[in-house]
Amino acid sequence: MISLTKIWEYGRQRWANWRRQPTKPEPAPASSEPFVAPVFTRAANDAGSLVQEFLAVGRYALLLRPQIIENLEDDQIRKTIDALDAQMALSPVGDVVLGQPIEDCDDFDTDGTAVATVQSRVVHVESIFLDRYAVTNCQYKHFVDGGGYEEMGIWEEDVWAAMLDFVDQTGHPGPHYWHNGTFPRGQADHPVVGVSWYEATAYARWCGKRLPRDAEWTKAACWPVTISPGNLQQRKFPWGEIMENDRANLWSAGINSTVPTDEFEKGISVGGLLQMVGNVWEWMSGPYGTPDDVSLALPVPMKSIRGGAFDTYFDNQATCHFQSGENPLHRKHNIGFRLVLGICDLAPRAAELIYGGSTEPITVATEV
Amino acid sequence: MSRACDVPMDSYRLAHYTVQVECYVCGGGNTFDAELCRHCQAPMALAHQVNTQNVQPGLVAVLGTSGAGKTVYLGMLMDMLSRRNFGLQSLVRGAFSVSLQQITTSALANGEFPTKTPNEPDRWNWVHSQLTSPNLRRPLELIIPDMSGEAVLEEIDHPRTFPVVRSFLSKSVGVVILVDAVRLQRGGHEQDHFTMKLLTFLSELEAENNRQRLRLKRHSGRPVAVVLTKADQCEKCFDDPEGFVKACGSGMWRHCSESIDNVKIFAAGVAGASAYRFGVGNQRRRVPLRVEPRGIIEPFEWLISKVPANGRRRSK
Repeated sequence: MISLTKIWEYGRQRWANWRRQPTKPEPAPASSEPFVAPVFTRAANDAGSLVQEFLAVGRYALLLRPQIIENLEDDQIRKTIDALDAQMALSPVGDVVLGQPIEDCDDFDTDGTAVATVQSRVVHVESIFLDRYAVTNCQYKHFVDGGGYEEMGIWEEDVWAAMLDFVDQTGHPGPHYWHNGTFPRGQADHPVVGVSWYEATAYARWCGKRLPRDAEWTKAACWPVTISPGNLQQRKFPWGEIMENDRANLWSAGINSTVPTDEFEKGISVGGLLQMVGNVWEWMSGPYGTPDDVSLALPVPMKSIRGGAFDTYFDNQATCHFQSGENPLHRKHNIGFRLVLGICDLAPRAAELIYGGSTEPITVATEV
Repeated sequence: MSRACDVPMDSYRLAHYTVQVECYVCGGGNTFDAELCRHCQAPMALAHQVNTQNVQPGLVAVLGTSGAGKTVYLGMLMDMLSRRNFGLQSLVRGAFSVSLQQITTSALANGEFPTKTPNEPDRWNWVHSQLTSPNLRRPLELIIPDMSGEAVLEEIDHPRTFPVVRSFLSKSVGVVILVDAVRLQRGGHEQDHFTMKLLTFLSELEAENNRQRLRLKRHSGRPVAVVLTKADQCEKCFDDPEGFVKACGSGMWRHCSESIDNVKIFAAGVAGASAYRFGVGNQRRRVPLRVEPRGIIEPFEWLISKVPANGRRRSK
């Protein structure tokens, strides 16, 4: 059993280290020991233990909501903001080019005809916080153990009929590849896979966050720089322009399975996000494709996924700009997710504390 | 209209023409400068390579209905094996052997599937490669053609239409049969019937060989890997391929379990997901949304573990 004090101490230590270098996600139990999620005994009206519980299971974003933050003491707010800073990275406001960048559109078939490419468009994105790491098995287990699959309010109503299929190999509610309501031994800090888009969305609501939009995710990954008005320079990969095998867990890395979310540190993005490319594809909130792409016909409406996975074969399908799609009900072995928290979702007081006094007006991403 | 031209009468050339070069697939005689065998249309480069080496490469057939994914499977397999630096690896023999993986990966990287393999054997892509693995005592030489599904079916229904198919299958040391899992799941019996037809044809060829006492020992228990392709579109295949075949292809399953000693069922997928794109003339074609090969190497690895080592070329 992991004691709460240990978790908190670890969190504090990590936050101190984060000032100098990126931190690692929630500590994974030793591979030989079966993981047991922390159990909380909450006294009625005990706000302190409730805050501690929320911090321990990664629901700190809920504590920064306007309705809740007013009831917290300064120390509790500081701890919550520390937790947010340790787990999430800020992606500043700005524009991003979505779709195939111009320099990648010079591919031609052998007969000289241009290969069909996705048309690019500039999208304005507001400031957001994005998870530094993909959601791990360990983090998702808090949701499963906390009754997330029974809390119908956080699930899309359309999917209630399909929820009986959201079970693991032994029939317990949970990701497809789990057994007896728990993840495979030794994979506590691996990204959770085998979850549908609906499960990812429900988990996000449970945490007080949401799935990222395509533009938000792309902007955080490729870190665009405005050279001149309307002219953006974006990275192909989070670290630069050239794929290197030791920076991302793709097929070429030869691992052929998921790795812990804090590995491949050399592939860190400018903003401090790990594994934006490789390891697992990540669910986006929006649909796959664009409405103006009339030549594309999908067998079912698909949701967008990005980033490539451990079995992605071609490097050009694991760039910051590449978009693929998947049936939102499918629970694949190589699709996970990371979450986003809009600054607009934070209480003004929390935003003030984070920004150090600045409270700029926040709006959602809009296409230009 | 005829045109006059000078033909050099080189004596060495005439001398070469008197020696017949045996086609490696059908055994028919050909002139030394023939590009394709005049009997079966197999590339003579195979025969020339065999003649310069001291080994007899084994023949492995990859079969399946039209559209089952033979080109994609074989192209990806060869590309993956040539890029790996552990386990089973391959080294292509001859520049012509690279064409298949080049065509396949170029198309997939551009978000398309390769075009359909033509029926004419002279336009098929052949692969001659040397395989190495920690599990193999010495490198294994294999020849694998990307045969057209329609040509194979035509040869089964109308013998001698495509002599290369018959010659190749009667000599092959292992067979990979690709079954379209999506079509099988839909309930159509086409995949089931084709596979049964193919298995019966292979048994007939084997019996014929046995009657002629040709390499009797070598052909007994020829390994057959049945691969359910496009399994990314029905995840059940990956969980339990055998159960899937039992449920959706009972005829094929019965035939496999009763008449073949050395058979195993696998599932494979190359595209993680696919969609349709309308091209010129509003023609609809399937396109891969991403490429994430799964279960491609396993069937081949199993097959390699079952095929006999290469024979040595008889010295003349």
